[in-house]
Amino acid sequence: MTAPILDVRAISIAFGGLKAVTDFSLSLPAGALQGLIGPNGAGKTTVFNLLTGVYRPQTGEIHLDGRRVDGLKPNRIAAAGLARTFQNIRLFGDLTVLDNVRVACHVRAETGLAAAIFRTRAHYGEEAAIRERALSLLEIFGLSHRAGEYARNLPYGDQRRLEIARALATGPKVLLLDEPAAGMNPQEKRALADLIALVRRQFGLTVLLIEHDMGLVMNICEAITVIDHGVTIARGTPAEVQADPAVIEAYLGAPDEPPPASAPAPAPDSAKADP
Amino acid sequence: MTKLLQTLFDGLAVGSLYALIALGYTMVYGILQFINFAHSDVFMTGAWVAYVVAATAGWAALGGDAPPLYAGLFTLFASMLFCAILGFGIERLAYRPLRKAPRLNVLITAIGISLFLENIGQRPELFGTQPQKMPQLLPDTTLFTIADVNFRVVDLTVIAVALVLMAVLQWLVFHTRLGRAMRAVSHNFSVASLMGINVDAVISFTFVVGSAMAAAAGFLYVMKYPGALKQPADSTWILLGLKCFVAAVIGGIGNVRGAMLGGVLIGLMEMFGAAYLSPHMRDIYVFSLLIIVLLVRPAGLLGRATVEKV
Ligand SMILES: Nc1ncnc2c1ncn2[C@@H]1O[C@H](COP(=O)(O)OP(=O)(O)OP(=O)(O)O)[C@@H](O)[C@H]1O
Ligand SMILES: [Mg+2]
Repeated sequence: MTAPILDVRAISIAFGGLKAVTDFSLSLPAGALQGLIGPNGAGKTTVFNLLTGVYRPQTGEIHLDGRRVDGLKPNRIAAAGLARTFQNIRLFGDLTVLDNVRVACHVRAETGLAAAIFRTRAHYGEEAAIRERALSLLEIFGLSHRAGEYARNLPYGDQRRLEIARALATGPKVLLLDEPAAGMNPQEKRALADLIALVRRQFGLTVLLIEHDMGLVMNICEAITVIDHGVTIARGTPAEVQADPAVIEAYLGAPDEPPPASAPAPAPDSAKADP
Repeated sequence: MTKLLQTLFDGLAVGSLYALIALGYTMVYGILQFINFAHSDVFMTGAWVAYVVAATAGWAALGGDAPPLYAGLFTLFASMLFCAILGFGIERLAYRPLRKAPRLNVLITAIGISLFLENIGQRPELFGTQPQKMPQLLPDTTLFTIADVNFRVVDLTVIAVALVLMAVLQWLVFHTRLGRAMRAVSHNFSVASLMGINVDAVISFTFVVGSAMAAAAGFLYVMKYPGALKQPADSTWILLGLKCFVAAVIGGIGNVRGAMLGGVLIGLMEMFGAAYLSPHMRDIYVFSLLIIVLLVRPAGLLGRATVEKV
């Protein structure tokens, strides 16, 4: 058995008296595609915020590819290879589509600030390479024709895909997707699932997916972790989880009914703490 | 006609000075959403450092022998360097520890830094409590005259230096990797950080650039008004800073091009008002313009109005 690429050991955080996440553990083998589900307010996004350094875990440890990353600044964690998208789209609206992706490429750039100012040859070569890489990412996501537009002017579906492209631009080992299909119609959702499968193969990614659409989660995830009130209540294959009474109760508050095949997606801009 | 053109030229000279200072306010606001009250004191320090450098070097005071040509450049760079370090230090020591604190705390800290710089500047071992006359580093002559409009060396220098610096900034912000990172950070710094951008470095850099530009403005200011180097805690500095902040607001706070536009507009407004209405009410014109712009376009001329989501 190889060591997991993302190893989360009993992380917790409380906001005042509210225990948002309690002793959350997760072990993602390299190349896995797993799901993280739970009812509204369960703490899923908070888990992502803990993993990516938005919040510092109050207990536990996070290891990414053998390296301990909890307590690092978000940009250092991104540099270590963890990237994410946001439930409420958070693109750089005032930047062009191309610049949104390019700016995320910087973290893998080798020439530093001095070179940028003094415009060395290496810097120029690298800028060209960044541009190239950004354009090919846009190509994959079908956004090439919009490269010059301001991100804020894109249609909703394009913005969702641009978020993934931008996350990929940071060159991650593990990609965290927070409800990437929210607000999409079934057709768009299928296309998105294919896209996730494609980039996962192409970039050798490990993916952790938060999604309210049970159909989608059950379809593409190999394993699922279910949390409710910040506590992990089930873990297993989609079939196992679906049949788990604790899961059914968490979703419906009553036993003997399966979780809904397609829970309504929350409004994309629900007022919530950043991000 | 001559009067019109002369006023236009004078307005551009003053306006480009304002624009340089306004840029510092707008860049900091763009990223951290607070008014850096200490910025006018960085400008003041820039002016005083220019004086100290020139006086220490023994370059002639008003009316003496003409100093060497490099004197001006040297003084400018010395002042910019000093204030760049000052700006870096202010951010690092005073603002960064408050990055996660409520904005009001930062605002009050900025006022504190402002008072601190003004008062420490008055120490006898620093700038003292007396106004000074700036050594004349540029020839006080008219370079050329077109249609009876006098193009003074000083004014041309002010415009030229300001234009070069603004062109550099424009290039930096919109055509370099660093500028791209700055724009991303100013859009949303927590997201920028999650995308791997070293936000602290970008913010430090912003303060360095803004302060260096304020220092350049301070240098140009004392070149233009060599007799008006008031003591550090004098209210002239605050009023000047306030005007430049107004310029940033008029242009659309947070918007780099807006600050340049706002600065020039304010300079023109002030000069035209002084020439055609009354020279005693300069400040009134500036603030009237502010009121009008805020009534018509609350987000400023180049600002984008955002509708608060509820
Ligand atoms: N910064 C914060 N301060 C206080 N409470 C917070 C903060 N962030 C999250 N919470 C609370 O923690 C709980 C979990 O929120 P979280 O956003 O992680 O839920 P979620 O599972 O992502 O829900 P959803 O499906 O609606 O996106 C909620 O009760 C939320 O209000
Ligand atoms: Mg969420």
